[in-house]
Amino acid sequence: MERRVIITDERGEHGVTVFDDGRVIVDDVAIVARITGPGEVRLGPESSTVTWVAASGDIRWVFLNGSIYELEAHAEGRRRRRAASGHSSLSAPMPATVIRVEVSPGGHVRRGDTLVILEAMKMELPIRADTDGTVTTVSCKPGDLVQPGVALVEIE
Amino acid sequence: MTFRRVLIANRGEIAIRIARACREADLESIAVYSDADRDAPHTRAADRAVRIGPAPSAQSYLSVDAIIEAARATSAQAVHPGYGFLSENATFASACERAGLVFIGPPASVIERLGSKVAARELMASAGVPVVPGVTATDQSDGGILAAAGQLGFPVLVKASAGGGGKGMRAIRDRESAKELISAARREAVAAFGDGTLYVERLIDKPRHVEVQVFGDTHGNIVHLFERECSIQRRHQKIVEESPSPALTEPVRARMTEAAVAAARAAGYVNAGTIEFLLEGSGDDARFYFLEVNTRLQVEHPVTEALTGLDLVGAQFTVAAGGRLPWTQRDITRRGHAIECRIYAEDPAGGFLPQAGTLLLYREPAGPGVRIDSGVIEGGTVPVHYDPLLAKLTATAQSRDAAIARALAALKRFPILGIRTNVPFLIRLLDHADMRSGHVHTRFIEDHAVELLTARETPVEALAAAAAIGAGSDTQPSARTPTSTVSDPWATIRGWGR
Repeated sequence: MERRVIITDERGEHGVTVFDDGRVIVDDVAIVARITGPGEVRLGPESSTVTWVAASGDIRWVFLNGSIYELEAHAEGRRRRRAASGHSSLSAPMPATVIRVEVSPGGHVRRGDTLVILEAMKMELPIRADTDGTVTTVSCKPGDLVQPGVALVEIE
Repeated sequence: MTFRRVLIANRGEIAIRIARACREADLESIAVYSDADRDAPHTRAADRAVRIGPAPSAQSYLSVDAIIEAARATSAQAVHPGYGFLSENATFASACERAGLVFIGPPASVIERLGSKVAARELMASAGVPVVPGVTATDQSDGGILAAAGQLGFPVLVKASAGGGGKGMRAIRDRESAKELISAARREAVAAFGDGTLYVERLIDKPRHVEVQVFGDTHGNIVHLFERECSIQRRHQKIVEESPSPALTEPVRARMTEAAVAAARAAGYVNAGTIEFLLEGSGDDARFYFLEVNTRLQVEHPVTEALTGLDLVGAQFTVAAGGRLPWTQRDITRRGHAIECRIYAEDPAGGFLPQAGTLLLYREPAGPGVRIDSGVIEGGTVPVHYDPLLAKLTATAQSRDAAIARALAALKRFPILGIRTNVPFLIRLLDHADMRSGHVHTRFIEDHAVELLTARETPVEALAAAAAIGAGSDTQPSARTPTSTVSDPWATIRGWGR
């Protein structure tokens, strides 16, 4: 038995085949992976490399030798969340209060420009553009209490 | 003055640290919690726990009335404030004194005097401790602050007159950027301390931050427990602390510790405190300037405990009960090197934004010379309301190189998943050539941001591990039965003890 999984990282998609005997083929490289404990996966023929993995929905968090990778996993053939291209939606990382809005619809922004300043945990948190583009929507105003995951500014 | 029952007016790792010290001293401990912390680990570390209010700290951990009421309701006789929250609040210390509670820290009058940057500076200058040139502008308008800055000469640092912790603090390098930075500093000062008064001082560019741990008792004894170098900071928030400082020569160390003891004596200091200095230059000619006094136990106190082998919290109880310091200056020696890394729920790649959420996986490393002070558990949540410090890792070894190597090895076995943390960032930081050689200053992180933040390509091992645990699962792997790749029945319980 085998299953096909698509793993997505920031750079793109990787087709992975997982066999029941523990072999995993990633981008034509064969690796042995064994689940050796709760959240613990060991790699290599001698299981000498230890990683820790946690899943939340399609998200896979992997800890390997001090680096952390946030990946998405989908069974092949399942509809994947579309990776937006040339379009960006910025939201608060946590519940926060809007202190200032620095942009308005139609404005041009460069990657790194401050769009909105939030306050949470008694600290000011700037929300910056992650891409160059034109602001299409601004959905917050000073004083708003905003929730994570809800778009504050959209850039096209 | 003796007491049997201590209320711990704090949360997280420091509340757990204090509860542990209570047990060792055979004292009863009482934890307090807000609604966001109902099941938090610190509530279980103490003998009992009592609710003090809703989630926002202003109505719970920062509420003098709520804490005093909790102490009364539980018949506590003493209060340990930890750090942050009410620990440096003179009003709270005097409210404790009025309520007949022993405040485990310096007297309210000492906190008040040292808490005012202006009064503290004047006191230190009169005691012969060197200070950085600076003023609290009498005209607090943007123009008044600018004029004060102009007199001192750019660059300057503006900071909240009322508090510390980096809140309301901004470096201003020229007139052009000044207005926005002054407004931001004032807003943060009002939000954090309810007081927008700003202090302006000459900015010592790229200084080192070196502080001296002091301890006094009510019998007039004052000792120092050597220095801690805390130069690795971000927005004036310390991230890595170590001792001995790689920058201090013996003559400078002698002068600095002597100045710290003189400062504590001038202030009539009692209990644990820290005298912070900025260090400029190097070698025997290095100059240091008084920065401020932290009138409480420090976050980084484990560095000193590891280096000297002494128990600072235990000594706080002794001194608060009216006893003599358990050590004279001659008893206090140091051995090897200790380095602490603060592990924060924050996203270094995303402007270091604090993170909140559920810890899907959290496993602490252990081993000789590795101390973890933590306030979280696997499956627990990190609330949005408080400081995002999750844990402190302190590594101790015979040399600085060995301590760094030990800290690195431990961090590489410290998986925290489900919330972004600064663990990978700390690894790159400790591994940096300039860190390893001890060439650090307070702008180290800004100056090396590119090298410290560059993301690495995902290795095939990480992709394989992600695929191995199955797709489309909503459960965390610790709740899952291992798949058929496992033939050893013991494998299913392996890892429990970690």
